[in-house]
Amino acid sequence: MSTQTPPRYPFAWTPPMQVPEALRTVHKTSAIEVTLPSGDVATLVTRYKDVRALFADKRLSRNIARPDCARISKDNDLFMDPNIDPDPPEHTRVRSLVTKAFTARRIEALRPYVQQVADQLLDEMAAGPQPVELNEALAFPLPIMVICKLLGVPPEDRDQFRAYVDGFLSVTKLAPEEVGKCRQNLWKYLGDLIDSKRENPGDDLVSELIRVRDDEDDSRLNEHELHFWTQGLLIAGYVTTASQIGTGTAVLLHHPEFVRAIQADWSLVPSTVEELLRTQIMGSSVGTMRYAIDDIPLSDGSVIKKGTSVLLSEEGANMDPEVFDCPFELDIRRKENHHMTFGAGLHYCVGAALARMELQVATESLLRRFPDIRLAAPAEELPRALGGFMEGFTEIPVEW
Amino acid sequence: MRVTANSDTCAVSSLCVYRVPGVFDQDEDGLVLVLDESPAEALHEEIRRAARGCPTKSIRVVEESAAEGAVELARGDAG
Ligand code: SF4
Repeated sequence: MSTQTPPRYPFAWTPPMQVPEALRTVHKTSAIEVTLPSGDVATLVTRYKDVRALFADKRLSRNIARPDCARISKDNDLFMDPNIDPDPPEHTRVRSLVTKAFTARRIEALRPYVQQVADQLLDEMAAGPQPVELNEALAFPLPIMVICKLLGVPPEDRDQFRAYVDGFLSVTKLAPEEVGKCRQNLWKYLGDLIDSKRENPGDDLVSELIRVRDDEDDSRLNEHELHFWTQGLLIAGYVTTASQIGTGTAVLLHHPEFVRAIQADWSLVPSTVEELLRTQIMGSSVGTMRYAIDDIPLSDGSVIKKGTSVLLSEEGANMDPEVFDCPFELDIRRKENHHMTFGAGLHYCVGAALARMELQVATESLLRRFPDIRLAAPAEELPRALGGFMEGFTEIPVEW
Repeated sequence: MRVTANSDTCAVSSLCVYRVPGVFDQDEDGLVLVLDESPAEALHEEIRRAARGCPTKSIRVVEESAAEGAVELARGDAG
């Protein structure tokens, strides 16, 4: 056994625009041990082939509320809820209730609304002084407005729940009492929301889930699950997309030649969005924590032992030289781009189509509205958020 | 080329629908539907990509070689 402490994970993106050295070399073996912010050790699976297969492997449980499973943070039981069973068949039942709202057709029907919100935000941006901080002006409000609409959350509540969610997702940023307070407040807020939807149901996802909960026998969705999954949708639907809009745009603006290319050919927007998703996934895969309930052999012949805590490295898979040509380079014309940012298999992110659409609208609208938009600070000085669940850029000043 | 899909394993990602809309669609629950089982040649490459990109490998493509009817299975795995 090695006496060395395994490397820290998430790998630090310093300098901020450069792929960490640890990530460039991680594919030498199928898995490495890493030290999490909590100090616990987990096994990080690094290669595309293994990551993709393991996302669909029943020998990996998503139920991480076990005493011997590694923790991401000591101060925050991120995504751990002993009352929820995130494995099939329980999970499949909830998932099939939710996926209906996220089909291609329903998401496309939302596109005009997303466009309208984006245009309005860009109007406000144009009217104010420069430089503008892009996270506050566009990246956060856009997905918040969209998820509010989808879930039926009153838009005027958005600052409130945004603060709760930020606390909820703290890894080391806030003290444990603060995290606890945010979690309680968020839970209470959702309780009130659910109550009010019960009285005045609308054409939204929360009302739909309540209807399922109340109409069917109790084997469908209990009160706690209703709460839990509403919370999950709210958080997943907002923070990830927001972080990706901001950080992806910052990376894009760091490459003016790509901005010019897109402005000359708008059909490049979708492949650009995919490439930014591939290369900029906020730095880490701490959300993929799994627990091995059996021995699992990997492609290089090594074996993950039963009882191991496992992280599936989406960023490792996305930069696997076996699968992607020049994996560390940004290529907005990349054709074959089946990145792992939304996972794979049965747990594939239900919100992926929505996120893609929002990213496309945000990117295109911004570059059309402000043809000369550029970063107003050196790219290498943009601060990254550390100690949170998302490690994107926290400040992105732009001017035009 | 013949295209089929297994809606039992479909994860409702919509990826195939976005990639080749005339060939793939989704039912009310979001599960995959194949609209055109013998699509035109011009679409074949995109369909192979869709099969490779399907997160649950639910899309199956059977290539029929003109020569002697030999078949080759291409079920999605990009890795
Ligand atoms: S790509 Fe695969 S998982 Fe996604 S909708 Fe099509 S068949 Fe289903």
